Amino acid sequence: MLRGSHGPISFGVRFEKFRACHIIVVAVDPSGGEHLAYQLIMAKSAALEAVALPGDGEPWTGLARRNMASTQGAHDFDGATTNRGVSNRKRGNESLTEGHVPASMDPALQARARHELPTYDVWKSNHKSKLWVLAIMTMVVAMVVLAFVRPPARGGDGRPAGFQTQSAQRVSIGLKLAPANLDIRNQSGSSLDQVLIGNVYEGIVARDSNNKVVPALAKSWVVSNDALRYTFTMNTGMTFSNGDRLNAEDAAWSVNELVKRGYHDAQLLKHFESAKALDNSTLQIVLTAPYSDLLWVLTGRPGLVFDRHARYDMKTQAIGSGPYTVERFVPNSSLTLVANSRYRGPYRAKTASIVLHYYNDDNAAINALKSGDIQVLAPITQSLSGPFDRDSTNYDVKVGEGTDKFVLAMNCKGSKTSDVRIREAIRMAIDHKAIVASRGGVDRLMGGPIAPLDPGYEDLGARVSHTDVRRAAKLLKEAGYDRQNPLALRLEYANIYGTELGDQLRSQLREIGINLQVHVVEFSTWMQDVYTNKNYDLSLVDHNESHDFSQWADRGYYYNYDNPEVRNLYDQAMSATTEARKSELLQRAARVVSSDSPADWLFNYRITTVMRSGVSGFPINMNQALMPLWNVTFTHE
Amino acid sequence: MRKTRIVARSVWKTAEGRFSVVVLGIWIAVSLLSLVWTPCSLWSTDGYDTWASPSTRHWLGTDGTGADVFSWLMAGSRTDLVIAVLATMFSAALGFLLIGMTASRSNVFSNMSVVLIDALISIPTILIALVLAVPLGASVAVVVIACGIGHGLNLARVCRPQALLAARSGHAKSALSAGAGGRYVLLHHVLPNILPTLIVQLSLSAGTAVLAESGLTYLGVGVPSGVPSWGHSLATSVKFVDVFPITVIWPGLLVTVVVVALNMFGDCLRNAVDPVSNAMLRKNGAVGASEEGKSR
Repeated sequence: MLRGSHGPISFGVRFEKFRACHIIVVAVDPSGGEHLAYQLIMAKSAALEAVALPGDGEPWTGLARRNMASTQGAHDFDGATTNRGVSNRKRGNESLTEGHVPASMDPALQARARHELPTYDVWKSNHKSKLWVLAIMTMVVAMVVLAFVRPPARGGDGRPAGFQTQSAQRVSIGLKLAPANLDIRNQSGSSLDQVLIGNVYEGIVARDSNNKVVPALAKSWVVSNDALRYTFTMNTGMTFSNGDRLNAEDAAWSVNELVKRGYHDAQLLKHFESAKALDNSTLQIVLTAPYSDLLWVLTGRPGLVFDRHARYDMKTQAIGSGPYTVERFVPNSSLTLVANSRYRGPYRAKTASIVLHYYNDDNAAINALKSGDIQVLAPITQSLSGPFDRDSTNYDVKVGEGTDKFVLAMNCKGSKTSDVRIREAIRMAIDHKAIVASRGGVDRLMGGPIAPLDPGYEDLGARVSHTDVRRAAKLLKEAGYDRQNPLALRLEYANIYGTELGDQLRSQLREIGINLQVHVVEFSTWMQDVYTNKNYDLSLVDHNESHDFSQWADRGYYYNYDNPEVRNLYDQAMSATTEARKSELLQRAARVVSSDSPADWLFNYRITTVMRSGVSGFPINMNQALMPLWNVTFTHE
Repeated sequence: MRKTRIVARSVWKTAEGRFSVVVLGIWIAVSLLSLVWTPCSLWSTDGYDTWASPSTRHWLGTDGTGADVFSWLMAGSRTDLVIAVLATMFSAALGFLLIGMTASRSNVFSNMSVVLIDALISIPTILIALVLAVPLGASVAVVVIACGIGHGLNLARVCRPQALLAARSGHAKSALSAGAGGRYVLLHHVLPNILPTLIVQLSLSAGTAVLAESGLTYLGVGVPSGVPSWGHSLATSVKFVDVFPITVIWPGLLVTVVVVALNMFGDCLRNAVDPVSNAMLRKNGAVGASEEGKSR
């Protein structure tokens, strides 16, 4: 090692060698890691000092002594000495011996150092600097390549793809909204309905992918002529996942408990009088007044059948009669379902285990899909699905119907928005097609309050497909505002919907002389200001419920909308005895609501789902509300 | 006057100084220009032309609403400039007030303020911002106050030792015994001594204010929706980084370049005003930053 006093000349030589040999090490032995990086930094700082300090008149000896430390470090490093000399063998050998001989004793070295030191320049284009550049370029290229190379896709069970065709034992699905707990009787949130109904718990009746009522635990039903008595014939031989038998007694007990204890959604069971088991396989529900939505309501939480003998913690466990049971629940992270071995119904699980992963962040979800951690992602933002759409050999992108309505509510009792001319002007000025296009072009124009999968739907999209800025401006002028005297309105909505819609609305309404102030707030603030206090001009909400026309017949709802004709039509529809009559009445009511313009229906959101090729049986329609998984399989090569 | 010229020349002489002066100059110029002109109106959106690539019409492409990214970044530069200036002024005022307290002749007062600063400095800036966002909502004031408090405390902590040395020095004592007031000593003896450190710290806080604006706006507690800012441009496009990475790069690049320029400018200015490091100042006898110059 270097010891003793060294003059400036010996430092110059040593430093040059030190630099050269290290570059070789970078190329030959990348595992050098931290040690190497440290030494390179030392080399750089030494170089800087060598260039900068002499001018300030600092004694050269001091400089040399300081840099000795770094030089010594270089020699301590094995790779530095053993790998050197690939292209500088002569210098390398000199340096090896030099470690033990005082440098000043070598006149040849002194001469060269004296010659080289004054013109020393890190970036000078001699062959050693080229090595520098080469090494940096190699590293940059390697980093770029690494950034773009993705690991080979793996199947759901962790096997590399491209091996042999077989059906996976486990399918992983990426979802967005996670349930807080599993207590489906008390905990609100559609994410619970989505994963538990039809998979773990079953209802007396169920819904198909078109939102129509189909048999489930009951194989058939009869409705009395006055529509007050519903008599269900239950399947036989059914059991819960804990082995208990399931019969009409359990069903009657479940419905009565719901009403008695006021569990979640109990209020949907209108005009309810009683539920009783006539025998082991016959359930009768009696109403005080006709209620045409009863069967549909029983497809949701109010119709679920629980085991009246079982005692378990409903927040973390679930004992139902469905094709799956809950194996593990990690709040906000994942829910693992395994096939229910006691299930004897028609919807036997085709895949042994299904894991639901929850991703708050869209990019995390997409990365999980790309890396093969999940095989299905529902939903994906339409604008983000482009790369998957183009890669049709590996992915399927499907767009399904949903009941989500993006409603721009206009406070019917607001100081300015109570004027129907202003509300109509706003509807006319909004370019609905452009909004849909900016979101990826799959959403549907609505024009009215009822979504395609709900009773009473009629395509009112034509009402909003044409934007008429001139007529809108004229209406607004009649109301006393124009571009010179703009109308200031406040749009308040929750930050979960992003800022894009607000920006677009502000830009579009500006055309007719409305100065829209957009306030994107926390959900709780929105609840307080808009939903509870009804203190707003405009508000934007995604109303994702199905069969929710009642909001337009509810005077107390935050829309502040009250039209006796609509209320009357809705009441008639609810007491209609046939589906056709109900649909007709709701259709009429929807037209009245649409012409009153208490809100603008920006679009009907359609759900985009991406699946890896080989996944089949995953529900595409309404999969954010109901997601029966029994039919899901994943066949990978 | 001569001193100012020397300092300016010293800053311009270094490569870092030149780079930072040019960048900051462009920043200010663009901010002023955006008040009167942007290539496209900020309020024009086009649903049929979203996430467009750079073209002659949209120099840096469009965002998710079809608005022109270049225009929004131009307009955003003035918001960020205002935030950086206000936050720096606020932190300078708070910091200097606290320095005055720590360097005070009253021992009790001085000790108390040190404990106070140490206690407050442990509260993260982001937490201050989140708390402020409750009454204020998302607004520029949240960013300015949060950064001002955070950096003001930091400033006081960093400058305190030098301020104490200056306040307890012989010339400060003689000034006091000659009848000078506390405020006079603070302004004429303490401030010139801590100026180099102060400059570096303030340039850092200007840079951090720009960063904080981006971060807080991303979290939804910074600049409100509809006010153009670099953080707003980042926040609206970062979700789509996988599909439209180019749109995220522009605001990110801008923030990086400006913050680097601010930090470099602070360093260069420090070197330029400090007679210890700037030989030009010494040679020309324009030493005004130290106590020597003031006591003449």
